[in-house]
Amino acid sequence: MSAPAVHVVPIFATPFGVVTLPQAATLNSALGTLLSERAPPQWRAARGPGALMFRSREDLGEWPEEPVRRLMSEMLAGVSAVAASISELAEQDFAALRMDARAWFTLVRPDGCVPAKSYANSSWLAVYCVSAPEPSSARVDSGVLRLYESRLGTMFQDPAGSAARLPYRSGHCTWRPVPGEMAVFPAALTHEIALVRAAGILVLVSARVRFVGSGGAWMPPW
Amino acid sequence: MVTPSVSLQGVFAVPLGTARLTECQRLNRELEALFLAREDNEHRNPMPSHIPQAETFESRFNLFRWPEPCVQELRKFVLDSVVTTVLQATKLLPADLARLTLHNHTWFHISRQAGSFVAHNHPMASWSAVYCVRAGEPVPAEPESGVLRLLDPRYGAGAYRDAANSQLHPAFALTPLDLRLNEGQVIVFPSYLFHEVTPFYGRDTRITVATNCWFA
Repeated sequence: MSAPAVHVVPIFATPFGVVTLPQAATLNSALGTLLSERAPPQWRAARGPGALMFRSREDLGEWPEEPVRRLMSEMLAGVSAVAASISELAEQDFAALRMDARAWFTLVRPDGCVPAKSYANSSWLAVYCVSAPEPSSARVDSGVLRLYESRLGTMFQDPAGSAARLPYRSGHCTWRPVPGEMAVFPAALTHEIALVRAAGILVLVSARVRFVGSGGAWMPPW
Repeated sequence: MVTPSVSLQGVFAVPLGTARLTECQRLNRELEALFLAREDNEHRNPMPSHIPQAETFESRFNLFRWPEPCVQELRKFVLDSVVTTVLQATKLLPADLARLTLHNHTWFHISRQAGSFVAHNHPMASWSAVYCVRAGEPVPAEPESGVLRLLDPRYGAGAYRDAANSQLHPAFALTPLDLRLNEGQVIVFPSYLFHEVTPFYGRDTRITVATNCWFA
Protein backbone atom coordinates (compact mmCIF):
# COMPACT_ATOMS: atom_id res chain seq x y z
CA MET A 1 0.00 0.00 0.00
CA SER A 2 1.28 3.47 -0.84
CA ALA A 3 1.53 6.16 1.82
CA PRO A 4 -0.49 9.13 0.59
CA ALA A 5 0.39 12.59 1.83
CA VAL A 6 -2.39 13.34 4.25
CA HIS A 7 -3.25 16.65 5.84
CA VAL A 8 -5.60 16.32 8.82
CA VAL A 9 -6.97 19.28 10.74
CA PRO A 10 -9.54 19.51 13.52
CA ILE A 11 -12.82 21.09 12.54
CA PHE A 12 -15.70 21.97 14.86
CA ALA A 13 -13.12 22.26 17.62
CA THR A 14 -14.00 23.35 21.16
CA PRO A 15 -11.66 25.87 22.78
CA PHE A 16 -10.45 25.05 26.27
CA GLY A 17 -8.05 27.45 27.95
CA VAL A 18 -6.05 27.05 31.13
CA VAL A 19 -4.86 30.29 32.67
CA THR A 20 -2.50 30.64 35.61
CA LEU A 21 -3.38 33.61 37.79
CA PRO A 22 -0.16 34.30 39.68
CA GLN A 23 -1.45 37.19 41.78
CA ALA A 24 -4.71 35.48 42.57
CA ALA A 25 -2.83 32.47 43.86
CA THR A 26 -1.32 34.58 46.59
CA LEU A 27 -4.86 35.43 47.65
CA ASN A 28 -6.04 31.86 47.96
CA SER A 29 -5.61 31.61 51.71
CA ALA A 30 -7.59 34.78 52.37
CA LEU A 31 -10.19 33.80 49.78
CA GLY A 32 -10.63 30.35 51.28
CA THR A 33 -11.22 31.80 54.72
CA LEU A 34 -13.60 34.49 53.48
CA LEU A 35 -15.68 32.17 51.33
CA SER A 36 -15.96 29.53 54.04
CA GLU A 37 -17.16 32.18 56.48
CA ARG A 38 -19.88 33.25 54.07
CA ALA A 39 -21.24 29.72 53.60
CA PRO A 40 -24.61 29.07 55.27
CA PRO A 41 -25.03 27.27 58.61
CA GLN A 42 -26.05 23.96 57.07
CA TRP A 43 -22.79 23.85 55.17
CA ARG A 44 -20.74 24.64 58.26
CA ALA A 45 -22.74 22.12 60.29
CA ALA A 46 -21.96 19.50 57.63
CA ARG A 47 -25.36 17.86 57.86
CA GLY A 48 -28.72 18.10 56.19
CA PRO A 49 -29.55 19.55 52.76
CA GLY A 50 -26.61 21.32 51.21
CA ALA A 51 -24.05 19.71 53.50
CA LEU A 52 -22.04 18.15 50.68
CA MET A 53 -22.04 21.01 48.20
CA PHE A 54 -22.76 24.69 48.49
CA ARG A 55 -23.14 27.11 45.61
CA SER A 56 -23.44 30.80 46.43
CA ARG A 57 -25.54 33.46 44.77
CA GLU A 58 -24.16 34.97 41.59
CA ASP A 59 -23.15 38.21 43.24
CA LEU A 60 -19.49 37.59 43.94
CA GLY A 61 -18.53 40.31 41.49
CA GLU A 62 -20.25 42.86 43.72
CA TRP A 63 -18.42 41.96 46.91
CA PRO A 64 -16.28 44.83 48.17
CA GLU A 65 -13.59 42.72 49.82
CA GLU A 66 -10.21 43.34 48.26
CA PRO A 67 -9.20 39.69 47.68
CA VAL A 68 -12.43 39.08 45.81
CA ARG A 69 -12.11 42.26 43.74
CA ARG A 70 -8.57 41.40 42.75
CA LEU A 71 -9.55 37.84 41.87
CA MET A 72 -12.46 39.02 39.75
CA SER A 73 -10.18 41.39 37.89
CA GLU A 74 -7.65 38.66 37.13
CA MET A 75 -10.30 36.15 36.16
CA LEU A 76 -11.93 38.50 33.68
CA ALA A 77 -8.56 39.41 32.22
CA GLY A 78 -7.89 35.70 31.77
CA VAL A 79 -11.21 35.08 30.06
CA SER A 80 -10.60 38.05 27.80
CA ALA A 81 -7.18 36.70 26.87
CA VAL A 82 -8.60 33.29 25.98
CA ALA A 83 -11.41 34.80 23.92
CA ALA A 84 -9.03 37.17 22.15
CA SER A 85 -6.65 34.35 21.33
CA ILE A 86 -9.20 32.68 19.08
CA SER A 87 -10.94 35.81 17.79
CA GLU A 88 -10.52 37.23 14.33
CA LEU A 89 -11.53 40.68 15.55
CA ALA A 90 -8.90 43.35 15.22
CA GLU A 91 -7.13 44.05 18.50
CA GLN A 92 -8.70 47.48 18.89
CA ASP A 93 -12.16 46.14 18.06
CA PHE A 94 -11.84 43.39 20.62
CA ALA A 95 -10.59 45.85 23.21
CA ALA A 96 -13.69 47.97 22.64
CA LEU A 97 -15.98 45.20 23.84
CA ARG A 98 -17.48 45.38 27.30
CA MET A 99 -17.60 42.30 29.50
CA ASP A 100 -20.66 41.26 31.48
CA ALA A 101 -19.94 38.77 34.24
CA ARG A 102 -21.73 36.94 37.00
CA ALA A 103 -19.66 35.09 39.54
CA TRP A 104 -20.21 32.71 42.43
CA PHE A 105 -18.28 30.33 44.62
CA THR A 106 -18.72 26.63 45.20
CA LEU A 107 -17.64 24.45 48.11
CA VAL A 108 -17.57 20.67 47.78
CA ARG A 109 -16.94 18.16 50.55
CA PRO A 110 -15.93 14.50 50.16
CA ASP A 111 -18.85 12.55 48.64
CA GLY A 112 -20.15 15.81 47.19
CA CYS A 113 -20.26 16.84 43.57
CA VAL A 114 -21.62 19.57 41.32
CA PRO A 115 -24.28 18.20 38.97
CA ALA A 116 -23.98 18.65 35.23
CA LYS A 117 -24.84 22.12 34.04
CA SER A 118 -24.50 24.57 31.20
CA TYR A 119 -25.27 28.29 31.13
CA ALA A 120 -27.59 30.14 28.80
CA ASN A 121 -27.02 33.64 27.45
CA SER A 122 -23.33 33.45 28.28
CA SER A 123 -20.40 32.81 26.00
CA TRP A 124 -17.66 31.72 28.38
CA LEU A 125 -17.39 30.00 31.71
CA ALA A 126 -14.35 30.40 33.93
CA VAL A 127 -13.64 28.04 36.82
CA TYR A 128 -10.88 29.15 39.18
CA CYS A 129 -9.52 26.85 41.87
CA VAL A 130 -8.91 28.37 45.30
CA SER A 131 -8.07 25.10 47.01
CA ALA A 132 -8.39 21.43 46.21
CA PRO A 133 -8.01 18.12 48.01
CA GLU A 134 -5.01 16.01 47.11
CA PRO A 135 -5.64 13.68 44.17
CA SER A 136 -7.03 10.32 45.19
CA SER A 137 -4.89 7.31 44.31
CA ALA A 138 -7.99 5.14 44.37
CA ARG A 139 -10.14 7.45 42.29
CA VAL A 140 -8.47 9.22 39.40
CA ASP A 141 -11.50 11.40 38.65
CA SER A 142 -11.99 12.63 42.20
CA GLY A 143 -13.08 16.27 42.06
CA VAL A 144 -12.22 16.82 38.40
CA LEU A 145 -13.99 19.21 36.10
CA ARG A 146 -15.58 16.93 33.53
CA LEU A 147 -16.63 18.42 30.19
CA TYR A 148 -19.22 16.29 28.49
CA GLU A 149 -18.87 14.94 25.00
CA SER A 150 -21.10 17.05 22.81
CA ARG A 151 -20.86 15.17 19.54
CA LEU A 152 -23.47 12.52 18.93
CA GLY A 153 -21.97 11.25 15.73
CA THR A 154 -20.06 8.67 17.69
CA MET A 155 -22.69 5.94 17.84
CA PHE A 156 -20.92 3.95 15.17
CA GLN A 157 -17.47 2.83 16.13
CA ASP A 158 -14.90 0.56 14.59
CA PRO A 159 -11.52 -0.45 16.04
CA ALA A 160 -9.62 2.34 14.28
CA GLY A 161 -12.06 5.06 15.25
CA SER A 162 -12.22 3.88 18.84
CA ALA A 163 -8.48 4.43 19.18
CA ALA A 164 -8.47 8.00 17.88
CA ARG A 165 -6.35 10.51 19.76
CA LEU A 166 -7.26 13.96 21.02
CA PRO A 167 -8.83 16.12 19.70
CA TYR A 168 -10.56 13.47 17.61
CA ARG A 169 -11.24 10.92 20.34
CA SER A 170 -14.86 10.71 21.44
CA GLY A 171 -15.73 10.89 25.10
CA HIS A 172 -15.59 13.36 27.95
CA CYS A 173 -12.59 15.55 28.78
CA THR A 174 -11.43 16.26 32.30
CA TRP A 175 -9.33 18.90 34.00
CA ARG A 176 -8.05 18.62 37.54
CA PRO A 177 -8.51 21.88 39.46
CA VAL A 178 -5.17 23.18 40.67
CA PRO A 179 -5.01 26.10 43.12
CA GLY A 180 -4.12 29.28 41.26
CA GLU A 181 -5.26 27.98 37.88
CA MET A 182 -8.42 28.69 35.93
CA ALA A 183 -10.18 26.76 33.18
CA VAL A 184 -12.03 28.72 30.50
CA PHE A 185 -14.45 27.09 28.06
CA PRO A 186 -17.73 27.80 26.25
CA ALA A 187 -20.58 28.26 28.71
CA ALA A 188 -22.90 26.12 26.59
CA LEU A 189 -20.70 23.08 27.22
CA THR A 190 -22.30 20.73 29.73
CA HIS A 191 -19.91 20.09 32.58
CA GLU A 192 -19.81 18.82 36.13
CA ILE A 193 -17.52 18.53 39.10
CA ALA A 194 -17.10 14.81 39.68
CA LEU A 195 -17.58 13.28 43.09
CA VAL A 196 -14.84 14.32 45.52
CA ARG A 197 -13.36 11.14 46.98
CA ALA A 198 -10.40 12.53 48.88
CA ALA A 199 -9.99 14.34 52.17
CA GLY A 200 -10.39 18.11 52.07
CA ILE A 201 -12.71 20.68 50.58
CA LEU A 202 -12.72 21.79 46.97
CA VAL A 203 -13.19 25.57 46.73
CA LEU A 204 -13.96 27.04 43.32
CA VAL A 205 -14.87 30.46 42.02
CA SER A 206 -16.80 30.49 38.75
CA ALA A 207 -17.83 33.27 36.43
CA ARG A 208 -20.02 33.23 33.38
CA VAL A 209 -19.11 35.91 30.96
CA ARG A 210 -20.31 37.53 27.75
CA PHE A 211 -18.98 40.30 25.60
CA VAL A 212 -21.16 43.25 24.63
CA GLY A 213 -20.51 45.41 21.63
CA SER A 214 -20.16 49.14 21.92
CA GLY A 215 -23.00 49.60 19.44
CA GLY A 216 -25.51 48.68 22.10
CA ALA A 217 -26.82 45.54 20.42
CA TRP A 218 -29.61 43.93 22.43
CA MET A 219 -28.65 41.15 24.81
CA PRO A 220 -31.10 38.88 26.61
CA PRO A 221 -31.45 39.29 30.36
CA TRP A 222 -29.52 36.85 32.44
CA MET B 1 -54.02 40.38 18.22
CA VAL B 2 -55.67 37.80 16.02
CA THR B 3 -55.31 34.20 17.11
CA PRO B 4 -54.34 32.13 14.09
CA SER B 5 -55.22 28.49 14.10
CA VAL B 6 -51.86 26.95 14.88
CA SER B 7 -51.16 23.25 14.90
CA LEU B 8 -48.36 22.48 17.32
CA GLN B 9 -46.53 19.19 17.29
CA GLY B 10 -43.32 17.75 18.61
CA VAL B 11 -40.62 16.91 16.10
CA PHE B 12 -37.25 15.23 16.60
CA ALA B 13 -38.82 13.38 19.50
CA VAL B 14 -36.96 10.84 21.64
CA PRO B 15 -38.92 7.63 22.29
CA LEU B 16 -39.03 6.51 25.91
CA GLY B 17 -40.76 3.26 26.79
CA THR B 18 -41.77 2.37 30.31
CA ALA B 19 -43.26 -0.84 31.66
CA ARG B 20 -43.86 -2.28 35.09
CA LEU B 21 -43.52 -5.87 36.17
CA THR B 22 -46.44 -6.51 38.47
CA GLU B 23 -45.89 -8.79 41.43
CA CYS B 24 -42.17 -8.23 41.16
CA GLN B 25 -41.22 -8.59 44.83
CA ARG B 26 -40.35 -12.31 44.75
CA LEU B 27 -38.33 -11.99 41.55
CA ASN B 28 -36.48 -8.93 42.75
CA ARG B 29 -35.52 -10.51 46.06
CA GLU B 30 -34.20 -13.58 44.23
CA LEU B 31 -32.23 -11.38 41.86
CA GLU B 32 -30.90 -9.28 44.71
CA ALA B 33 -29.69 -12.34 46.62
CA LEU B 34 -28.07 -13.76 43.50
CA PHE B 35 -26.34 -10.52 42.57
CA LEU B 36 -25.04 -9.88 46.07
CA ALA B 37 -23.68 -13.43 46.19
CA ARG B 38 -21.83 -12.84 42.94
CA GLU B 39 -20.48 -9.41 43.70
CA ASP B 40 -16.92 -10.67 43.33
CA ASN B 41 -13.96 -10.50 41.00
CA GLU B 42 -15.06 -13.57 39.07
CA HIS B 43 -18.21 -11.79 37.97
CA ARG B 44 -16.88 -8.22 37.79
CA ASN B 45 -16.63 -6.61 34.36
CA PRO B 46 -12.94 -7.12 33.48
CA MET B 47 -12.92 -4.36 30.86
CA PRO B 48 -14.92 -1.40 32.19
CA SER B 49 -15.44 1.35 29.66
CA HIS B 50 -15.44 4.03 32.33
CA ILE B 51 -13.44 4.78 35.44
CA PRO B 52 -14.35 2.03 37.92
CA GLN B 53 -15.68 3.03 41.30
CA ALA B 54 -15.40 1.09 44.52
CA GLU B 55 -18.96 2.10 45.40
CA THR B 56 -20.53 0.74 42.22
CA PHE B 57 -20.06 -2.88 41.21
CA GLU B 58 -20.49 -3.64 37.52
CA SER B 59 -20.88 -7.25 36.43
CA ARG B 60 -19.76 -8.88 33.21
CA PHE B 61 -22.01 -8.24 30.24
CA ASN B 62 -23.29 -11.82 29.95
CA LEU B 63 -26.02 -11.66 32.58
CA PHE B 64 -28.84 -12.85 30.34
CA ARG B 65 -26.87 -16.01 29.58
CA TRP B 66 -27.03 -17.07 33.20
CA PRO B 67 -29.29 -20.13 33.51
CA GLU B 68 -30.87 -19.25 36.85
CA PRO B 69 -34.67 -19.12 36.54
CA CYS B 70 -34.91 -15.65 38.08
CA VAL B 71 -32.48 -14.27 35.50
CA GLN B 72 -34.33 -15.93 32.65
CA GLU B 73 -37.64 -14.61 33.98
CA LEU B 74 -36.17 -11.10 34.03
CA ARG B 75 -34.64 -11.59 30.59
CA LYS B 76 -38.05 -12.35 29.09
CA PHE B 77 -39.68 -9.31 30.68
CA VAL B 78 -36.92 -6.86 29.78
CA LEU B 79 -36.40 -8.04 26.20
CA ASP B 80 -40.15 -8.23 25.62
CA SER B 81 -40.32 -4.61 26.80
CA VAL B 82 -37.59 -3.66 24.36
CA VAL B 83 -39.33 -5.43 21.48
CA THR B 84 -42.67 -3.85 22.33
CA THR B 85 -41.04 -0.44 22.42
CA VAL B 86 -39.40 -1.05 19.06
CA LEU B 87 -42.73 -2.06 17.56
CA GLN B 88 -44.38 1.08 18.86
CA ALA B 89 -41.55 3.40 17.82
CA THR B 90 -40.87 2.00 14.35
CA LYS B 91 -42.74 0.88 11.26
CA LEU B 92 -41.60 -2.69 11.80
CA LEU B 93 -44.21 -5.39 12.10
CA PRO B 94 -43.94 -8.30 14.52
CA ALA B 95 -43.17 -10.57 11.58
CA ASP B 96 -40.29 -8.27 10.58
CA LEU B 97 -38.80 -8.42 14.04
CA ALA B 98 -39.28 -12.17 14.23
CA ARG B 99 -36.87 -12.56 11.34
CA LEU B 100 -34.17 -10.70 13.23
CA THR B 101 -31.93 -11.91 16.01
CA LEU B 102 -31.95 -9.73 19.10
CA HIS B 103 -28.44 -9.50 20.51
CA ASN B 104 -27.75 -8.01 23.91
CA HIS B 105 -25.11 -7.08 26.40
CA THR B 106 -26.64 -7.16 29.85
CA TRP B 107 -25.16 -6.54 33.28
CA PHE B 108 -26.08 -5.51 36.80
CA HIS B 109 -24.97 -2.60 38.95
CA ILE B 110 -24.90 -2.54 42.73
CA SER B 111 -24.40 0.96 44.11
CA ARG B 112 -23.64 1.80 47.69
CA GLN B 113 -23.05 5.11 49.52
CA ALA B 114 -21.89 7.74 46.98
CA GLY B 115 -21.96 5.28 44.09
CA SER B 116 -22.71 6.87 40.72
CA PHE B 117 -22.13 6.37 37.03
CA VAL B 118 -20.80 9.01 34.70
CA ALA B 119 -22.82 10.22 31.71
CA HIS B 120 -22.42 7.92 28.74
CA ASN B 121 -24.21 6.42 25.76
CA HIS B 122 -23.82 3.08 24.04
CA PRO B 123 -22.26 3.04 20.58
CA MET B 124 -23.02 0.08 18.33
CA ALA B 125 -26.40 -0.57 19.88
CA SER B 126 -29.86 0.70 18.96
CA TRP B 127 -31.89 0.34 22.14
CA SER B 128 -30.97 0.35 25.81
CA ALA B 129 -33.03 -0.50 28.87
CA VAL B 130 -32.67 -0.23 32.62
CA TYR B 131 -34.65 -2.39 35.06
CA CYS B 132 -34.85 -1.57 38.75
CA VAL B 133 -34.30 -4.47 41.14
CA ARG B 134 -33.94 -2.32 44.23
CA ALA B 135 -34.46 1.44 44.29
CA GLY B 136 -32.53 2.08 47.50
CA GLU B 137 -33.77 4.30 50.27
CA PRO B 138 -34.72 7.87 49.39
CA VAL B 139 -32.62 10.56 51.07
CA PRO B 140 -34.68 13.69 51.77
CA ALA B 141 -31.58 15.83 52.22
CA GLU B 142 -30.31 14.77 48.80
CA PRO B 143 -33.35 14.72 46.52
CA GLU B 144 -31.27 13.86 43.46
CA SER B 145 -29.78 10.78 45.11
CA GLY B 146 -29.63 7.81 42.76
CA VAL B 147 -31.56 9.43 39.95
CA LEU B 148 -31.28 8.10 36.40
CA ARG B 149 -30.77 11.28 34.39
CA LEU B 150 -31.40 11.35 30.64
CA LEU B 151 -29.57 14.25 29.01
CA ASP B 152 -31.23 16.35 26.33
CA PRO B 153 -29.59 15.41 23.02
CA ARG B 154 -30.29 18.82 21.48
CA TYR B 155 -26.92 20.05 22.59
CA GLY B 156 -26.66 23.82 22.82
CA ALA B 157 -30.32 24.43 21.98
CA GLY B 158 -30.81 26.06 25.38
CA ALA B 159 -27.83 28.37 25.09
CA TYR B 160 -30.07 31.29 24.21
CA ARG B 161 -32.94 31.93 26.60
CA ASP B 162 -35.49 34.65 26.85
CA ALA B 163 -38.92 34.85 28.41
CA ALA B 164 -40.57 33.12 25.48
CA ASN B 165 -38.56 29.89 25.62
CA SER B 166 -37.78 29.59 29.31
CA GLN B 167 -41.04 27.93 30.39
CA LEU B 168 -41.63 25.39 27.67
CA HIS B 169 -44.08 22.57 28.26
CA PRO B 170 -42.36 19.40 29.47
CA ALA B 171 -42.52 17.78 26.03
CA PHE B 172 -40.47 20.64 24.59
CA ALA B 173 -38.29 21.49 27.58
CA LEU B 174 -34.56 21.86 26.98
CA THR B 175 -33.59 20.21 30.24
CA PRO B 176 -32.44 16.80 31.43
CA LEU B 177 -35.11 14.31 32.45
CA ASP B 178 -34.64 12.86 35.93
CA LEU B 179 -36.18 9.45 36.53
CA ARG B 180 -36.46 7.88 39.95
CA LEU B 181 -36.94 4.23 39.12
CA ASN B 182 -39.32 2.11 41.13
CA GLU B 183 -38.78 -1.57 41.80
CA GLY B 184 -40.09 -3.62 38.91
CA GLN B 185 -39.98 -0.71 36.48
CA VAL B 186 -38.09 -0.87 33.20
CA ILE B 187 -37.39 2.01 30.87
CA VAL B 188 -36.35 1.65 27.25
CA PHE B 189 -34.64 4.40 25.28
CA PRO B 190 -32.43 4.89 22.22
CA SER B 191 -28.83 3.95 22.89
CA TYR B 192 -27.62 7.30 21.55
CA LEU B 193 -29.12 9.09 24.52
CA PHE B 194 -26.52 10.17 27.06
CA HIS B 195 -27.53 9.15 30.57
CA GLU B 196 -25.99 9.04 34.02
CA VAL B 197 -26.76 7.88 37.54
CA THR B 198 -26.31 10.60 40.12
CA PRO B 199 -24.54 9.77 43.40
CA PHE B 200 -26.62 7.47 45.59
CA TYR B 201 -26.58 8.52 49.23
CA GLY B 202 -28.81 5.82 50.74
CA ARG B 203 -27.49 3.61 53.49
CA ASP B 204 -28.53 0.47 51.65
CA THR B 205 -28.03 -0.61 48.06
CA ARG B 206 -29.40 0.47 44.70
CA ILE B 207 -29.51 -2.42 42.23
CA THR B 208 -30.31 -2.18 38.54
CA VAL B 209 -29.97 -4.32 35.44
CA ALA B 210 -29.02 -2.64 32.18
CA THR B 211 -29.07 -4.01 28.66
CA ASN B 212 -27.94 -2.82 25.26
CA CYS B 213 -29.65 -4.39 22.28
CA TRP B 214 -28.87 -4.65 18.61
CA PHE B 215 -30.75 -6.50 15.90
CA ALA B 216 -29.28 -8.38 12.94
